[in-house]
Amino acid sequence: MELIRHFLPCLYAFFACIGFSVLFNIQGTGILICSAGGALGWLVYLITEPLCGGSELIQALAAAVALAAYGEIMARVRRCLVTPYILVAALPLVPGAGIYYSMEHAINGETQAFLNRFLHTLGLAGAMAVGILLVGSVTRLAAGRHRKPSQERM
Amino acid sequence: MDIELDYDTLLTLSTEIGYRLLSSGAEIYRVEDSIQRLFTAYGADGAVFVIPSCIIASLATPEGHSATRIRRVSGHSTDIQRLEAYNNLCRVLCDQRPPLSKAKAQLALVEARHKSYRYGVRLLGYFVGTGGFSLFFGGIWRDGLCGGLCGVSIGLCLTLMTWLKANAFFQTIAGGFVSALLAVLLTALGLGQNLDLIIIGALMALVPGTVFTNAMRDIMAGDLIAGISKTAEALLLGTAIALGTGFALALTRGLI
Repeated sequence: MELIRHFLPCLYAFFACIGFSVLFNIQGTGILICSAGGALGWLVYLITEPLCGGSELIQALAAAVALAAYGEIMARVRRCLVTPYILVAALPLVPGAGIYYSMEHAINGETQAFLNRFLHTLGLAGAMAVGILLVGSVTRLAAGRHRKPSQERM
Repeated sequence: MDIELDYDTLLTLSTEIGYRLLSSGAEIYRVEDSIQRLFTAYGADGAVFVIPSCIIASLATPEGHSATRIRRVSGHSTDIQRLEAYNNLCRVLCDQRPPLSKAKAQLALVEARHKSYRYGVRLLGYFVGTGGFSLFFGGIWRDGLCGGLCGVSIGLCLTLMTWLKANAFFQTIAGGFVSALLAVLLTALGLGQNLDLIIIGALMALVPGTVFTNAMRDIMAGDLIAGISKTAEALLLGTAIALGTGFALALTRGLI
């Protein structure tokens, strides 16, 4: 039962990511690999639930770290850009539901609920961003040591 | 290396590659890095500055003449195939340093080889993507179907608005409005069950997730101007989604 509860959302996330891969014009097997990142991110989000004491923000952070690490690894393995992996895989974490429910509270005139929901949405987006930033910065530190010093940046 | 390096051609070529990278959804640091690397590879002394709407590149010839090119970038899309193709081209040019005439031919070749999905397949992508997210957020299979249909309506609406040359903000309002209206209609007809899940799934096609992720990567790379302007864009688009769907919901609430 636990397995199905975790498996189905990840499967849906996988298929949804396939749809969006087409919209981002990703060709070939890249589609499957990018979409698997989306499923992986959501799996991490679900299995960290008991560990995080009910804090969705920490769950989102953990999921973002996992999918960004996956993206960086796959980009190294397949020798291509990291951008598509992170763009597609981060989609299930994008708080689309938060935007919608905030708006619903707003048009119902429930200011308190709107602010609660809105700040929570911003928090989720921030957690996702921090997770991706964290992994990106660490890989930059690691990769930067091997790179030839190019001309200084403006 | 040519003794007589044509600096004008080099400048035009590198900014063209930069322009195409940026308009396919590359991060700022990637565009700056690519142009700078091309300059360095061909032994030119130059500098480049990129923000999301503009590329400024400048070269100085050994005689001391300066040449500058400014490219305005209006439309941004996300086209990973194109992005990877130009990134590879840039890497090849930096490694092999072919004569500039050959480099130009390679640039034309990359553009000719560009492939994208046909319109029908893209609409199918909208259907699978948005329908999948309706299911993902907890809908039943009929909600998934409705979410997919609303997603297709967003795809058609965006095409129409692009053809009308509307700006991104208005495109998003219209997309949100049309999809929410269709979702209300499908739910009223009894096909959809959870109105909120259908709309949320469909909205994923409009949510500025890519803008936001790219903004974060820009900030990480230290391009604060680009990062802040893209974050502002993401917030604006989020507001546009809320406006469009909110308007449709408020309207139908009065009617039904």
